[in-house]
Amino acid sequence: MKKTLILCGLIIAGITASFGQAKKPTIMVVPSDNWCIKNGFTMEFDNEGTKVVIPDYKKAFQQSTEVKLAVSAINGMMADRGFPLKDLESIMKSLESDAAEDAMRTSKSGAEVAENPVDILKKKAKADIIMELTWTVNKTGPKKSITWILRGLDSYTNKQVASAQGTGAPSMSAEVPVLIQEAVTAHIDNFNVQLQAHFDDMFVNGREIILRVKVWDDWDYDLESEDFGDDELGMIIEEWMDENTQKGRYNTTDMTETMALFEQVRIPMYNAKGRALDARGFAKVLYKKLKGDPMNIPCKLVQKGLGRATIYLGGK
Amino acid sequence: MRKLINKSTLLAVTFIAFGLSSNAQINAKTKKAQKDTEAWKYEIECVGIGKPGTKVIKVWSYSKRAKVATAQAKKNAVHGLIFQGYSGGGQGCTNQKALVTDPSVGEQKKEFFDNFFDINGGKYMKFVSHSSDSTPEVIGVKIKGYKFKVGVIVTVNTSALRKDLEAAGVIRGLSSGF
Repeated sequence: MKKTLILCGLIIAGITASFGQAKKPTIMVVPSDNWCIKNGFTMEFDNEGTKVVIPDYKKAFQQSTEVKLAVSAINGMMADRGFPLKDLESIMKSLESDAAEDAMRTSKSGAEVAENPVDILKKKAKADIIMELTWTVNKTGPKKSITWILRGLDSYTNKQVASAQGTGAPSMSAEVPVLIQEAVTAHIDNFNVQLQAHFDDMFVNGREIILRVKVWDDWDYDLESEDFGDDELGMIIEEWMDENTQKGRYNTTDMTETMALFEQVRIPMYNAKGRALDARGFAKVLYKKLKGDPMNIPCKLVQKGLGRATIYLGGK
Repeated sequence: MRKLINKSTLLAVTFIAFGLSSNAQINAKTKKAQKDTEAWKYEIECVGIGKPGTKVIKVWSYSKRAKVATAQAKKNAVHGLIFQGYSGGGQGCTNQKALVTDPSVGEQKKEFFDNFFDINGGKYMKFVSHSSDSTPEVIGVKIKGYKFKVGVIVTVNTSALRKDLEAAGVIRGLSSGF
């Protein structure tokens, strides 16, 4: 009897612990566009007559020891804080090898792996928070110093959630890698204090996401249709947002007959069942309401990481 | 023979009494210094960038006896990094915020911090060491009866200190709740 009770207790504790964990954001260090362009790690392509310059991370990691050192030092210190980061260079290698494997793979019946244009577009290194890194080496006579900027950017809300910047002490003897290591050591704690504050805010006021509602052009209705309840469809969705966001916090940034954009949407970290919630989990409840009785609107739910979801109305 | 024994006893008693009195004096001074730390009677400043996970700081402690102030430096350094932080300065120093963001934690976890900063073997000793290449800087001052302001350079292992405070539930870790 006693053993059964203990076993039950352990199972309940296990379930509670697994439900008590919120979805952990992924973080990745990326050299900034500014640094890549200044150091020549770029590639160009012609976008319908306009020359576009974008950073070439692969080239940067292959040719610059400094960028490898800076990224590795930050990764190491974040891992030490119990928050291991995604490694950009490894992800790029994985993407390449996955693409090669997918290209060669065929089923027994000879079919190839299905991939739509959006899948191809989404095949890039991504993380929920990007740590964007810039540094410049300043030279005054024989003295060298480093000006350092580290910014933490939320990939979905585009908000800067943490930053650390400054210029290190000038040195006549220290090499640039040593100065970079010093800069990381000097600034990472301040960066983490702000990141911690961002996470604390998230646990108190909810996770901030962006939710979009769009309409397929072959659908017979739109967000101004009054066939789905007492009010226009857009207003019904807004009412749902009032009731389901954390303390009713969200902004209706845009609302037309074909699209609705909700920004600064604060969603609870856990749903009513105690399970961790992200943008997809939150939007899924709205999706089910729209799809179910009495509205019966055919729709499609698409997510982008933890913080962005889109519902398309009028079909899959 | 009896006289000799009496003399020896007297001498022994005198030594013990002297020993007890000097011990009591040291304890009293230590307690005073302990009080000074609790009353935030110290200042800390950054003197350079240490190895990753460490902070090299100079601690200025106040006391009527320079030796006591020197001995208190390590404790003050750890106390300062937990509750005060410091502003940036030369030598590439950047400002460092206190490890404890909520000032009321000191009161809420009073028992923990009393044990942590216990002058007789408190855990704080694990996280701090004197810098090997520095000698204490002693300045004579007269502020509310204090006579010495002693500056000592110490290295604090902030990484280990933070982990210890996180494990004790005093501060939240970056991955807490995830």
